[in-house]
Amino acid sequence: MATKKKNKKPAKPIAFGKNTIRVRMYRVGFGDCFLLSLPVADADANADTHRHVLIDCGVHFKGDLKMMDRAVDHIAETTKRKLAIVIATHSHQDHISGFSNKFSSFEIGEVWMPWCEDVRDKQALKLQKKHIALTERLRQHFEAEARRAPVNKTRAAAMAAVANLVQNKTALTLLRAGFNVNAQVRYLNASDFLKNAGGITGLSANILGPPRDEKFLAKMNPPAGQSYLRMDGSQSNRLDAVQPFPARWRLKPSDPAFSDKRLSHLRLSDEETAKLQKELGSPSLNSLAFALDQAKNNTSLVTLFSFRGQQLLFPGDAQWGNWKFWLDKDDAEGILSGVTFFKIAHHGSHNATPRDALEKMSKGKFAAMVSTQNVPWDSIPRMPLMDRLGEMTMNRVVRSDSLKLAGTSGAPKGPELPEMPKGFAQGEFWYDYLVKLK
Amino acid sequence: MAYSPNDEAPAERPLKAYAFDPSQGRNLGNYMTVNVRNEAAEDPPTELLPGPVGKYLAVIDYDASNNVYYEPVDLNDPALLLRGGLDPSESDPRFHQQMVYAVASETIRRFETAMGRRIRWGFRGGRKNDPFRGKLRVLPHAMQEANAYYDRNLRALVFGYFPASETDPGTNLPGQTVFTCLSHDIIAHETAHALIDGQREFFLEPTGPDTPAFHEGFADIIALFQHFSYKEALLEVIQKLGGQIYRSRIGPNVQPEGGRPVIQDELSKSNPLVELAQQFGEALGMRAALRQALGTPPNSNALKTLFEPHERGAILVAAVFDAYFTIYMRRTRDLMRIAQGSGSATTPGNLHHDLANRLAGEAAKAAQHFANICIRALDYCPPIDISFGDFLRAMITADYDLVPGDHHGYREALIEAFRLRGICPSGVTSYAEESLRWCPPEVLKGITPPLCTGLKFNIPHPTTPQQQRHNAITLSRFGKANAKALGLNPDKPVQAFSFHAIHRVAPDGGLKVEMIAELMQQMDVALDPDDKDSDVFTFRGGTTVILTDKGEVRYAIQKNLGEDSKDNKRLKRQRDYYQNSMASMAMAAYGTEEMQDFLPRRGRKRSMNFSLVHRGY
Repeated sequence: MATKKKNKKPAKPIAFGKNTIRVRMYRVGFGDCFLLSLPVADADANADTHRHVLIDCGVHFKGDLKMMDRAVDHIAETTKRKLAIVIATHSHQDHISGFSNKFSSFEIGEVWMPWCEDVRDKQALKLQKKHIALTERLRQHFEAEARRAPVNKTRAAAMAAVANLVQNKTALTLLRAGFNVNAQVRYLNASDFLKNAGGITGLSANILGPPRDEKFLAKMNPPAGQSYLRMDGSQSNRLDAVQPFPARWRLKPSDPAFSDKRLSHLRLSDEETAKLQKELGSPSLNSLAFALDQAKNNTSLVTLFSFRGQQLLFPGDAQWGNWKFWLDKDDAEGILSGVTFFKIAHHGSHNATPRDALEKMSKGKFAAMVSTQNVPWDSIPRMPLMDRLGEMTMNRVVRSDSLKLAGTSGAPKGPELPEMPKGFAQGEFWYDYLVKLK
Repeated sequence: MAYSPNDEAPAERPLKAYAFDPSQGRNLGNYMTVNVRNEAAEDPPTELLPGPVGKYLAVIDYDASNNVYYEPVDLNDPALLLRGGLDPSESDPRFHQQMVYAVASETIRRFETAMGRRIRWGFRGGRKNDPFRGKLRVLPHAMQEANAYYDRNLRALVFGYFPASETDPGTNLPGQTVFTCLSHDIIAHETAHALIDGQREFFLEPTGPDTPAFHEGFADIIALFQHFSYKEALLEVIQKLGGQIYRSRIGPNVQPEGGRPVIQDELSKSNPLVELAQQFGEALGMRAALRQALGTPPNSNALKTLFEPHERGAILVAAVFDAYFTIYMRRTRDLMRIAQGSGSATTPGNLHHDLANRLAGEAAKAAQHFANICIRALDYCPPIDISFGDFLRAMITADYDLVPGDHHGYREALIEAFRLRGICPSGVTSYAEESLRWCPPEVLKGITPPLCTGLKFNIPHPTTPQQQRHNAITLSRFGKANAKALGLNPDKPVQAFSFHAIHRVAPDGGLKVEMIAELMQQMDVALDPDDKDSDVFTFRGGTTVILTDKGEVRYAIQKNLGEDSKDNKRLKRQRDYYQNSMASMAMAAYGTEEMQDFLPRRGRKRSMNFSLVHRGY
C-alpha cells in the first residue's frame, strides 16, 4: 500500500483538542468498531468537549482477537459512558456481536438501524423471518454434510459466511430495545436526512442506503423450495424433502428392472449418478449462502455525515447492489467528490467498493480506514483495491491489521505501515484519524 | 405390388401436453396435442425406446435429490398409441416424460425446418461406450430446486421440482409440488438454449451485457412464438379479445355490477399467450408470471439502465413481438373491415366463428414467419459477442436473402420496433434497410477476396468426417491468406469452426447452396492491464463468412480481434464487463475457485452458467 518515501520527516501528529474530529478504529479482528468523536463548539469548561457516535461493534467468531471486552471498556472510559448515537449498520456478527449488556450502563441518545431490522414493518418482518429460517437450515445442512465428506475451500467460505449470520439475537434484542436505557430507536432508509443528528449541533446525516425499492427487495429474497440435511443424532435426515411421486413409480438404482432388457439402456453409470448428485446438489447451496450473506450486507445503513465542512462516509458493508442503487442517481458524483473520510466497506472485499465510486472521489482529498485481516477469508482484503486506495488517498489510509497487538499471539499480520500517514495516530489497540477544523 | 402411401410409417406421432402449464386447468385450450415427428419413419429409422430415448433426446428420469429413478414411459405401448399418448396428469411421471419429449422434439423440429438442415448438439465426442452418445439427456425431475437449465458439461437439460410457497402460492396450493418440466415455456426455452449452443462454437460465451441477455431473450422468443401455434388456445384468446391478441389482460365474460366481480365469470385474467411460465412465477411467491414479455411502452433509455439478463433480454423480446403484432394487425385489417362492413360484431366475445378462425390462421402464419426469421438469423450472426443491433442486422439480411421483396413490411416493422427501443447497431449510418444489411468485403474494406475453392460437399447428404477435415483446412488457409479483406488479424492463426452448407430457395425458385463458416482467432490478455498479477482470459475475435457455391464471399460478419492495446474498444468493453460482473457476484468477496470459471480460457469452450442465470441469485 504505502510506498516508502525517504528523507522525509514524519508528519507532526495532530493533538486531540477542542476543534478536532477524531475517528477511532479499534482492532478487534475481523469486524468493525468505529468511534467518531465530534467537538462541541464553545463548550463550557465543565461540559464535555466532544460528543460521540459509535458505528458498529462486532467481530466474526472465526477472526476474533478477543479484544472486544477491552474495546468496550475503553469506549466507556473515553466517552464517559455517553454516546449520542449508536449505529448498527446491519445485523452481521462482525458488526454487532459486541453490543452486549455492558452498554446498558451507558447514557445513549439514539440507536440507528436500517429499516430492514424494524419488527413493526411488515415487509421487513417477512424478510427477516425468511432469512432466519434459511440461515438455520443452511447451517444445519453444511454441518451435516461436513460430517459426511471433507469440506473444500468454497464450502468453508460459505460456512463462514453463514456463521456470520447466526447468534445475533441477543445483540439485536438489545439494540431494538434501545439497550433498555430509553435510547430512541430509529429505523432509517435511503433518502432520510437528519439535521443536528443525535442532538449534535452541526452534524447532519444523509442516509444513502438501504432503499425501499421493490427491485432491491427482490434481491434480498432468495427463493425457497430446496431441501436441506440435518443431523439427528448420528444420522443425517433431509428436511423439507419432497417425494414427487408415490412409491409405485419409484425405481431404486439397484432395481432388477434395470438388468431387464426393456430398461437396461436407461441405467446411468455409477460414475454419472455421482456426478449428477454432486453438480445438482450442493453448489447451489454454496451460492445461496453467499447470496444470503450479500443480501444482508446490502441492508447496510449507508451514512454520510457532514460536520463543519467534513464529509465522512460510513457505508457499513454495503456491496454492489446497495451502492448501485444510489450511484445511479444524479447527485452521486457530487457526494463522492466531496468525501473527506471513507470507511472502506466490507473489510476491503472485492465487491464492496465499486471501482466507479472510488474513482469519483477526489484524489488526495480524503483519508480512509480499513478494518480487516485475512482470516477467516484469505481473499479479503482485495489487494488491487488496497493499492488503488493508497494511490487515491496519497497514502492516507491505514489497515487495522497493520497494528501490532501486545500480548496477542497469532493475530494475523497485515503489511507494516512504513510511516504514520498525515493525520493518523496509533494507540494501544486502535488507530486514530484526526482532523483539525478551521 | 402396387405402391400405397399406407405402406409407409406414419410421419407423425400425436402426444398430449399442456399448452401452458397445469395451473391453467382446462381453460383456454390448455389440453393440447403435439404432433411430433415419428422417428420410426425417418431415414435411417430410430426405434423410440422407453424413456423415451430417440435420435436426439434421451429422457432419463433420474432424481439426484432422492437418488431414485421413476418408471419410464413406453410410447410404443399399444395402449398409449391408441389414445395418442397419456392424458395430462401431474401425478404420473410418465406423462411428464412424454410432455418434455413432445415439446422438446417440437422445438427441435421447428429449428430444423427454419434452418433447413439437421441440428447437432453443442457437445462433441464423448466416450465410445456412452449409451447416450450424441443425444441430449433430459432429466425431467433432476433435483429439488426451483430451477431448470441447460448444462453443457452434463450434456443435459435438467428440470427441478419444488414445493410452492406456503405464504404466497398464487393459484397453486400452498406447498403443492410444482414441476418445471410441465411448463411448456420452460421446456421450449431450455431446449432453445441447447439448440443455439449446437449451432455455434463460442456463441454462448458471455462477453458483454448483451450476450447473456440475447440468449435469454432469444429463448423466450422461441417459447412465446410456440404459443401462437396452439390452435385451440389461440382461438379462445382471439375470441375473448376481439382479435387483439397482444392485450395483456382478458376481460371478464360478464361485466360485473359496480366494478367488483362477484362470480368467476366476472373476473378478468391475464392473457397466457403473452406470458411466460405463469405457474412457476406464482409458486415462488412472485405473484406474476416469470416474465411479462410485453405490456410496457417502448423506452429508448431502457438499454442504458437494465443489465440483468432477463430484464435486458425482455427488451429484445418486446421489440420482436412489437413487429409481430404490428404485422398481424396489418394482415387482418381487411378481414376486420369486411366484418364491420357487413355488420358483423367485432367486439370481444362476439366474433363470428369463421372470422375468429381466419384471424387465428393469420396469427399462426405470421408467428411462424417471425420465428423462422429469428432462427434463420442465427446463421447471419457474428461468431461471438452478439449485440442486439447485430441481431437486427442478421434478421434483416437473412430475410432479405429469402424474400427480397417485403410486401407485408416485415423488415420495416422490425426496424421500427428496434429503433423505438433505442437498439442501435454499430457501424451503420442509418436505420434504412440497405444500410442495415451486412456487406460483402469489397464494400467494407474495398478489397475483393479471391474465390474460396476446393470445398467438398456431399449434397444432399451430410459431409463425411474426411470432407470436414479437408474443408476446415481449406477455410483456415483461405482466412489466413485474406485476413485483411475478412477483418482478421494477419499475425494470428485462424481456425475454422461450425461450417455447414445452407440451402435456400432463390426468388426464381431455384435451389441455392451456400456455405457458412466461422473463422476464429484468439489471444490471451490480462483482465486488468494495470495489474501485473492480473487474471488472464482468452479474448476472441472472428468472422462469420457466407460463401456462394462458387466460393465467392457474400458476407463477412466481423468482430475484429485487433491488438492487445488500450485502444482496442471491444477488448476494453469486455474487460469492463468481466470486472463489473465479477465484482457484482455474491461469491466475489470470498474469492472462491468458481470465480475463475467465469473467464474464458484457451482450449475451453465457455458457456454461460444457465444454472446461475436462471436461479436468479
